[in-house]
Amino acid sequence: MSHPLSIVAVALVCLTTLVVGGFGLRLSRRTSDFYVAGRTVSPRLNASAIGGEYLSAASFLGVAGLIYGSGIDMLWLPVGYTLGYLVLLVMVAAPMRRSGAYTLPDFAEARLGSRAVRLVSSVLVVAIGWLYLVPQFQGAGLTLALVTGAPPWVGGFVVMVVIAAAVGAGGMRSITFVQAVQYWIKLTALAVPAFVLLLLWVRSGHPAPVVPPQWHAPLSPTGPGDHPWYRTASTVLALCLGTMGLPHVLVRYYTNPDGPGARRTTVTVIALLGVFYLLPPVYGALGRVVFPVLPGDVRGDSIVLRIPGELAPGLGGDLLTAMLAGGAFAAFLSTASGLAMSVTGVLDQELLRPQLARLTGGDSPGAGGFRLAAVLAVVLPYLLSRLIEPLGLATTVGLAFTVAASTFAPLIILGVWWRGLSVPGAMAGLVAGGLGTGLSLATTMARGDLGGWPGALLANPALWTVPLAFAAVVLVSLATPGRIPASTARVLVRLHTPERVTLARSRLRD
Amino acid sequence: MSTDARTQQEDAYLALQSTDEFQALRKKFRGFVFPMTGFFLTWYFLYVLLSIFAPGFMGRTVGGNITIGLLFGLGQFVTTFAITFIYARWANRELDPMAERLGARLDAQKEG
Repeated sequence: MSHPLSIVAVALVCLTTLVVGGFGLRLSRRTSDFYVAGRTVSPRLNASAIGGEYLSAASFLGVAGLIYGSGIDMLWLPVGYTLGYLVLLVMVAAPMRRSGAYTLPDFAEARLGSRAVRLVSSVLVVAIGWLYLVPQFQGAGLTLALVTGAPPWVGGFVVMVVIAAAVGAGGMRSITFVQAVQYWIKLTALAVPAFVLLLLWVRSGHPAPVVPPQWHAPLSPTGPGDHPWYRTASTVLALCLGTMGLPHVLVRYYTNPDGPGARRTTVTVIALLGVFYLLPPVYGALGRVVFPVLPGDVRGDSIVLRIPGELAPGLGGDLLTAMLAGGAFAAFLSTASGLAMSVTGVLDQELLRPQLARLTGGDSPGAGGFRLAAVLAVVLPYLLSRLIEPLGLATTVGLAFTVAASTFAPLIILGVWWRGLSVPGAMAGLVAGGLGTGLSLATTMARGDLGGWPGALLANPALWTVPLAFAAVVLVSLATPGRIPASTARVLVRLHTPERVTLARSRLRD
Repeated sequence: MSTDARTQQEDAYLALQSTDEFQALRKKFRGFVFPMTGFFLTWYFLYVLLSIFAPGFMGRTVGGNITIGLLFGLGQFVTTFAITFIYARWANRELDPMAERLGARLDAQKEG
């Protein structure tokens, strides 16, 4: 393990984030209008930024660890992450962009005209954001501890400080460029070592990976009482529908100039994600060559970082480990900063601004409130990440997708496509999905795996909470036809009218 | 924007909705997107179904350590990309010109 080289790599990635973020901040001040600047982002740059933000610690370290441990079943995680983007594109991206809402609570209020639904949506955005931030901090702690021997709290602390600084400075608004750079850092940091390690593996006579027979077999149980087909179907459903409900994903679509631009961006995003996700299976298989059995005290998540040291002892292996550590930090920073930005925005708007306005007698609180929100947004999940025993990076991220799929997906899909949605219906869906997933997660975290069907249903609740939430929305809406917002017809036409027509229409009115 | 202006604009949307061209546009969009979504979700969930009902087939090796299930997984990346690409091309070639024509007609109405 190379202490100095890895420290240099991690420090470089953190510095790049701060410097490029600061540069972008200055750039956006000179540009008179932030939104105009946002709309000049080319589809390719934007796609890199989306890829940079989306590929988190779970993708960089977690998927390889799961493939190492559980075999090819786990391919369905990256496929699901990618497919979620496709669902988002064809079903909701264009109508959401036309709604003019920048965040999910904005959309809820624009569609339903209800402060209460807005408030519940805000709480859910913060909950999903924190659930997603916790594994980023844990991943950072794990990585830094492994490559430098630092105590486990240091890595998460570094990530927390860097993103609080970046978001608090307001730099996140204009750092599309930072996240684009981070995609390419991540891809390079994962691809180059993979290539070198594969060459070393071939030169050493390409020994076959040592795997138990069920590693190749699809849907093999991981233990007694495991229900693999239920687990897989549930995961797949959560990933398909969860992507659209993640707070940091949707906002990126507004940086596109128009519909065709957004579509070009998505095609590129899916290509970038596909290229990236070819690599974790390589590491999973190489891991099986190097470690036929997982050493007792080693987490599956850390397998990627341990392979170079085993295959190429000495300076070469140290260099490769340093690259991987740097890439992993790029993953933690880019995802965490996008999430922190979303959570900060909601905390500032919904919680701090009204309170501060009351204290100061209606004066605008300015940047102070925003900075306070930025600190709150990252400190609480950091503390949580220290309290909660790490569950596995990809598992915790999967839970965030599950909550999003069970709460926001019904609200968005039915909000965009169904005239009969009523205010109590929307509320019922958010509450049913939120409680169902929340209680399942709390039980699993507090009591551990209960085993058998109860354990399976609580550990992967999406397959029952998603239909439950949809059913709650539909049934309650049907029961309360009087509470369908009067503006529904008008709002839906606006959501489904292509921009080109809208443009002509508004000129017609002049 | 004042409430009046917004209502006025939204009334304009409502008027727009009743035109045949707009209905045709909407029908075209749904006629493509809904079946396609159904197709790719089915294709995606097919893995789970095949694994439940035909585990032998999915676990069969086609050479070395490569099983049909593994090929299925990698193939999903290819199809996801292909579907996205086809959708984007369809929208650019079919949907946008139609919206463009409708927009142009509204422009002409204003000038006329």
